[in-house]
Amino acid sequence: MIMFLMALSLGMFGLAVTTMAFGAATRNERKPVAPLQPRLDLAPERFFAEGHPSFHRQPNVPLEVLLLQIERHVRLEQAAAESFISLPSPEVLNCRTQSPLIH
Amino acid sequence: MPDFHPDLLKSMSAQDADAVLALGRPLTLSSGAVLFQLGADADHLYVIDRGRVNLTLPMQVFGREEDILVEERVAGQTLGWSALIPPHRFTLKATAQIDTELLAFRRAALLDHFTAHPRVGYAIVGNVAATVGQRLQVFQAMWLREMKRVLELSRGTGSAV
Repeated sequence: MIMFLMALSLGMFGLAVTTMAFGAATRNERKPVAPLQPRLDLAPERFFAEGHPSFHRQPNVPLEVLLLQIERHVRLEQAAAESFISLPSPEVLNCRTQSPLIH
Repeated sequence: MPDFHPDLLKSMSAQDADAVLALGRPLTLSSGAVLFQLGADADHLYVIDRGRVNLTLPMQVFGREEDILVEERVAGQTLGWSALIPPHRFTLKATAQIDTELLAFRRAALLDHFTAHPRVGYAIVGNVAATVGQRLQVFQAMWLREMKRVLELSRGTGSAV
């Protein structure tokens, strides 16, 4: 009788161990939670200032007119630079001209 | 040319100035004529007697190469100082904006004259240096002004050029 009970206890113990091992083997693994990435708010690409409206040719401005505007801009900028050389000051250096390319 | 006082001959006696002017060869350009090309050998120095000359650099504008004005030279002013400064190549293109008369000074003739009259050579080189220095200062200021606008554009606060 004692031998029977001992064998029964060992059998029950073995069954419990087997059940636990089976459960552990078949349990769904929890996937590790990826750390939150900081959200980057990227500014729109402006490589070489592409996309700035002032850099696009106005559809109804002929090239000749644009070249005249560039010429006028250079003259005004040169005059501003010469004024700075005559009277050097930060105000004169940074003064605005009436160049059509700036406004 | 009794009333002709080019910046090349500043601080010189009338006698010395006349001797230098005698080395010059008169040259007439019609409107639009090219005096020298960018990169060409610079073997002449020029003084404008009458008219106006545009100094330009090529720039791509919407896919086309255009001559963009860099500087204007008017009567009494010197151009082509690359003739006196190595490597003796023009760094701009010069075009007569209107009918223009100039005096062209061959480099070899000028250098021979400077060797014979060092005081004259000293004065002329000083006057050329003043022209070069003035251009440098003007372009420093222009460059700084453009840099300011580039910074304003990069911050989105400025107006474009």
